[in-house]
Amino acid sequence: MSTHDGITDRVGAFGREAVSNGWTTERFAVLGLIGLVLLAFGPTFQVYLFTEFMIIALFALAFNLLYGYTGLLSFGHAMFYAGGSYGMAIVLRDASPYVAEVVGSGIAPLVTFVLGALAGVSLVLLIAVPVGWLSVRLEEIYFALITLAFGMLVFSVIIQNPGGLTRGTDGVIVTLGITEVAGMEFRLGERRTYYFLTAAIVLPSIYAIWRVVNSPFGTVCKAIRESPDRAAALGVDVTYHRWMTFVVSAAFVGVAGVLIAGLANVASPYHAHWTTSAIPVVATVIGGATFFAGPIVGAFVFLYVRWGISRFPALEAHWEFFFGLMLIGTVLYFKQGAAGGLLMLRGWLGDVRAAYDRGGTDAALDYAKESTSERLGRGDRSAEEEGGDRE
Amino acid sequence: MDPSLTPAFVSVSDVVIGLSLGSRLFLIAVGLSLIFGVLGVLNFAHGAFYMIGAYVTLAVTNQVIDNFWLAVLAGAVAVGAIGALIEIGTIRPLYERAEGELDQLIVTFGFVLVIHEAVRFVWGSQPYSIDAPASLAFSVSVAGSTFSAYRLFVIGAAFVVMAGLWLFITKTYFGALVRGTSSDREMASMLGVDVPKLYTAVFFLGSFLAGLGGALSAPLQSTSPALGDQVIIDAFIIVVIGGLGSMFGAFVGAMLVGLMQAIGPQFIAAGHIAIPFLAMVIVLLLRPEGLFGGIGE
Amino acid sequence: MTTVLETDGLTKRFGELTAVDDVTLSIGDEGVTSIIGPNGAGKTTFYNLLTGVLEPTVGTIHLREEGELVEITDAPPHEVARRGLSRSYQITNVFEGLTVRENLQVARISHDGRTMDLRSRAASDEAINEEVDRLLELMGLTEMADRPCDALSHGEKRSVEIALALAIEPTVFLLDEPTAGMNATEAREIVSLVKQLDEELAATFVVTEHNMDVVRDVSDRIVVLADGAVLADGDPEAVLTDERVTEAYLGSEAA
Repeated sequence: MSTHDGITDRVGAFGREAVSNGWTTERFAVLGLIGLVLLAFGPTFQVYLFTEFMIIALFALAFNLLYGYTGLLSFGHAMFYAGGSYGMAIVLRDASPYVAEVVGSGIAPLVTFVLGALAGVSLVLLIAVPVGWLSVRLEEIYFALITLAFGMLVFSVIIQNPGGLTRGTDGVIVTLGITEVAGMEFRLGERRTYYFLTAAIVLPSIYAIWRVVNSPFGTVCKAIRESPDRAAALGVDVTYHRWMTFVVSAAFVGVAGVLIAGLANVASPYHAHWTTSAIPVVATVIGGATFFAGPIVGAFVFLYVRWGISRFPALEAHWEFFFGLMLIGTVLYFKQGAAGGLLMLRGWLGDVRAAYDRGGTDAALDYAKESTSERLGRGDRSAEEEGGDRE
Repeated sequence: MDPSLTPAFVSVSDVVIGLSLGSRLFLIAVGLSLIFGVLGVLNFAHGAFYMIGAYVTLAVTNQVIDNFWLAVLAGAVAVGAIGALIEIGTIRPLYERAEGELDQLIVTFGFVLVIHEAVRFVWGSQPYSIDAPASLAFSVSVAGSTFSAYRLFVIGAAFVVMAGLWLFITKTYFGALVRGTSSDREMASMLGVDVPKLYTAVFFLGSFLAGLGGALSAPLQSTSPALGDQVIIDAFIIVVIGGLGSMFGAFVGAMLVGLMQAIGPQFIAAGHIAIPFLAMVIVLLLRPEGLFGGIGE
Repeated sequence: MTTVLETDGLTKRFGELTAVDDVTLSIGDEGVTSIIGPNGAGKTTFYNLLTGVLEPTVGTIHLREEGELVEITDAPPHEVARRGLSRSYQITNVFEGLTVRENLQVARISHDGRTMDLRSRAASDEAINEEVDRLLELMGLTEMADRPCDALSHGEKRSVEIALALAIEPTVFLLDEPTAGMNATEAREIVSLVKQLDEELAATFVVTEHNMDVVRDVSDRIVVLADGAVLADGDPEAVLTDERVTEAYLGSEAA
């Protein structure tokens, strides 16, 4: 019991310190973690929705390594999403009995899940290395087309049910099973358990992608996006670098694919279809491809606006309509996307607050009015469009 | 195709079905290719345009006037107009952007979603079909098989459109402007061509052809909101194989894909779905300009 | 004097057109060499051949690397750069969306062979940033280090461009029209900068230039290209008074 108290104390102390330091990163992190834990006790559907949000966020973030950071638009990333799903689902289906024999039936489901995840990511790498090597020979529209073709090639293979492995259009059912550890029994597939499992995989993955983006490797990616021939003239092997970025991006998409199979309880050919490849495109563009957090914000908008629309039965079936409009509006008028909008809003609130510090409420209101009418009057439609599309 | 691939058990009927499928695919692919060749825009919504053409034709024959040919014309013109409006409103602002090509692709993908849902909202999710026009509602016997005259008419129409487009692009003044602008936009602009207007005109023409394809297909296939997503992928395959920007390539590519879909399953029980994508990958890697060259060819 | 860059019978044909015609040149490590010629003389093609952007139809290119001349004829651009041939562009080519500091970090990461380094942080890596700071100082860019390049003036971008090319510690630095789009004062500044860098650094400078005043001030040797071939080669005084050179320039303007 005493060690338990020790941990609680330490967490408490860390929390108090973070709070007393003002709005620091630590404070946000603590709030976020508390939020994550609290959410687990919410309604099951909310837990499910947030789990899906985390998975799509990882999918989009990994996609954006290639799009926002390196300048290559892939319309075939679903092949890696499906690669992760199927690798995991097939291992769960076919290897479970052997694993149980080796490690005992208690912990077998968890071990199989880990093996399945590794198999999923390995399968993705197996596809991504040759496909990437070939695809990065092309640029722009042609890159989008060849990734689309490769993606649909994988889709066609899956629905052909080669060797009875993929079960054609039905897909492979995923059963996560019941794990027993130290006398405690828990169902991996139970919504809350799976939510924590997803968080435990997605959060470190996001951190890893953040490190990639800020590493020398990631800096070179951005340079290639801005000017490939300039990068080459500085000694960067552009084709090779794009290839490696492709593989890193695919690997993280594979992780998201592993997780979606467990959440949906099936590895479905739909996960490989080009319409699934469009999901990270939509989320990333709406969220803002130029910001690290853009795809996360976009995935949030994607899932929660969809959920919000589903509150209105008349609109429910037509949520794609609104995403289409948002996509068009974002590309035309506000390339920074929702993340850019949030940053702008934060800057503006800071200015309002500065005005308040100078001259109280009146000054703040004046500033708010003035800046708003200035924006609207200038005919800069970006702010309006953003707002208008949301409603 | 290679004669060794056409042994006796390919029936005339399969060939005709393949050609009629190819004819419809040609009408959508040729517009897609034309627009890419001149404007450099890959219009993801082109399949959705084709679908609108079919729906408008259905709606006009059912509710406005019981004349199939007028309905076909209405479908094609409506889609042309929608295309022109989309070009002016949402594509034109992106020509000057550095990463404009990808932005255009994403915007037109936005229209895929919008049109798909709008169609579902207006017409619902159920499939529709109509009869062929009375004037062509008879059967023709070719080499022992019987076909509806309408099916043969659509094949003929594709050939006529191909020939007409070819004459239009190579022999008329407007065609010369189109060819000039596609090879060098700035030069054309300096020579006094109103490039924005020309772009809109070409986008209208390409969309018109997609609408025409959809309209003519209405009696041959069931029309549902999923139609757009299906045909756009086929159209991408065709224009890549034939060469983005090549009209003749779109023609040959469409007929190849049409025949492949009609006959392919008999040769290769497994894998006939994968083969077009494999062909697309191979052409992109080995001959990204396609099997056939530029716009006038 | 040691030869640092050498071409032998370098030729590039595009179909019927011969853009670069049998150019045999040897550039030594002393002084600044200018390559001039009327429009369409083949300067740009010649640069593109040297930097590996184009492959020559016939001929060879050698570059001094670690004391000996190494053939770089068919090497792709990134390999040419790694071997020590760096360039600036006529139309400034910098990483517009990145800050000045990030621009230089890219060059240093490439120079240090750390493009595959996924673990360090570029922003706080000492090995990378020490040299970046030195370059910022050298080019007078320290104050604008954290501004994105697309917010800089044309002249400032030109400085970033030169800093980028220097950051990979080249043996030979090709400047393509360094004063394009500049006024007389700015052009003079560039001239004195190039001369200063040529004295201070180990790199050998090769310049193409339109502006004859700049050419006169900056060059120790001038090579004139006309119709893709070497028309004249020698010290500035002699070349600029050469009748054939005047004729080539006037001829092209008349046409």
